[in-house]
Amino acid sequence: MISINDLQVEVEGKNVLNGVNLEIPEGEVHLLLGPNGSGKTSLIMTIMGYPQYRITGGSISMNGQDITELDITERARLGIGLAEQRPPSVSGVKLRMLLDYILKEHEDKQERVLELIKEANMESFLDRDINEGLSGGEIKRSEILLLLSRQPLFAMLDEPDSGVDLDSLELLSSMINILFSPKKEYPAKRGTGLLITHSTYMLDRIDVDKAHVMIAGELVCSGHPQIIMNKIVDSGFESCIECREK
Amino acid sequence: MSREIIMVSNNIKELDRNDSTILSEVGISTEDEKRSGTFVLKDSEPVCSCSSLEGVELLPMAEALEKYDWLWGQYYWGLIPEDDSPLPMDQTISKKPLGYFLRVKKGEHVKLPSQAALYMTGSLGKQILHNVVILEEDSELELITGCISNAFMRGGEHIAVSETYIGKNASLINTMVHSWGRDVRVKPHSATIVEEGGSYVSNYISLRPAGIVDSNPVTYLNGTGASAKYFSVILGSESSEITLGGDVYLNADETSAEIAHRAVCTGGKIIQKGLLVGKASCHAHVDCSGMLISPGEDGYIESIPGLRSHHEEAQMSHEASIGKIAPQQVQYLMAHGMEEREAISMIVRGFLDADITGLGPELDQRIAEIAELAGHGE
Repeated sequence: MISINDLQVEVEGKNVLNGVNLEIPEGEVHLLLGPNGSGKTSLIMTIMGYPQYRITGGSISMNGQDITELDITERARLGIGLAEQRPPSVSGVKLRMLLDYILKEHEDKQERVLELIKEANMESFLDRDINEGLSGGEIKRSEILLLLSRQPLFAMLDEPDSGVDLDSLELLSSMINILFSPKKEYPAKRGTGLLITHSTYMLDRIDVDKAHVMIAGELVCSGHPQIIMNKIVDSGFESCIECREK
Repeated sequence: MSREIIMVSNNIKELDRNDSTILSEVGISTEDEKRSGTFVLKDSEPVCSCSSLEGVELLPMAEALEKYDWLWGQYYWGLIPEDDSPLPMDQTISKKPLGYFLRVKKGEHVKLPSQAALYMTGSLGKQILHNVVILEEDSELELITGCISNAFMRGGEHIAVSETYIGKNASLINTMVHSWGRDVRVKPHSATIVEEGGSYVSNYISLRPAGIVDSNPVTYLNGTGASAKYFSVILGSESSEITLGGDVYLNADETSAEIAHRAVCTGGKIIQKGLLVGKASCHAHVDCSGMLISPGEDGYIESIPGLRSHHEEAQMSHEASIGKIAPQQVQYLMAHGMEEREAISMIVRGFLDADITGLGPELDQRIAEIAELAGHGE
């Protein structure tokens, strides 16, 4: 599904990714871990195509197609989706307007999205400006709802747990599980994605297939999510840094 | 110079098909079952004047002056003194002026809108007219005024005097949609008086700006509890010069007024003003907001909200803001599958709609068109 080869990226002249290699096959959800400022958000913003993240080397492919030169719209239309950690507020633009845009050619999805809005208790959000004046948990719900409406082939979620209370974590975890739930096609495959979170609460509720650790713009470790997570919970990222230096 | 009126149709369906298509751009419908009355002025000729309700009288102004002796003095030049007439002298004193007379009779609550189309095709350099609208006590009407020049027209001038009288507990929503050629000069001169408990809503939408628009409508809230609301949406483009004001005099207790100007500048000059004058216990607010989208070197928006208070119980406030679209907002919407121009259009649409509710489908459609044009940088 997604193949990243020796990806190098800079932001405002500063290197933020230094040769990242990553493969995420169809039907797998991977976990991206790393300390603050290690480049996790830079990686997913680069995959999404944000122009501030300037690719200086390497490539990104999706289903065999090189998408390195494609703009944000083209990548979104190919099926890449992102729930941002700190999305901008868009004054005057109601969530309903964006949902209507997303769903205008997918009448089949409309009923399900309406159900989700009800289940997630988000009816009152629809006529509010996107992300404006919303709490942390409300922003996350809104972001994941938009992803669910689009059902992208490859979904990325950047810290869907940050700034969220425990009750909301339960709801957000359920929404993410719906996002990655197996599709009806035969043979059934679950959704494909990349998740950034350090919440053990959330990871107890969402199945991830593989974890990667990013340090200073490089992926330094990949493996079984539970083993890597246990190690980080025990001794923090210090052990990853030591391991990398060895 | 007075003009003879010839062959005024009483059926909107008899309009030339090309004219109908053009007029539909500014909200004029040729389906008479959708309108309670229609007046169409093409260049210097009224080509249609009709009403489907007994309680709604819609006549060419010249015919109304002939029919009603009381009109001149009491209503015609009743709000705007003849001495202040922006019209040429021969038009000011003419007993056969262009324009329309619209009256809604006492107690008539008209469900369907009436409409007036002021249409310039290029066969006349100037369109000079004088309108009088009277809503008698406890009546109600929505009026759609569409002003447009055809695509072939170069130059030209449209000067209109409009005097509007809103009686006790009467209500008028006046929606004006403009779509002018680039070189046309437009100078409306409007005054409205609202009596006790009356309500006046003025919506102004400029789809394609004329070369020069200079408009400063004035409203006098003279009766207790009277209210006025001005809402304007302007799209300015290269070489246009638009000055849009709005003065409201709150002369009686419990009156209220709101002015909300929204301007999008993709070039040209826009000056948006609003002046609230509190002379009694009243509430009023004026908001002049603007958005710049690639205005070029000479393009600008100037916002001047104004307050003048003569009374200690007058509660008045103002705000003004001018900004650009943040690239992060555009990119965010693009990440949900939009083209850049679609994202800009949606943000402009949101800006134009902000805090304004209940405009109805007609205006929503026009605002969507402006947002679409702005998204294309037009």
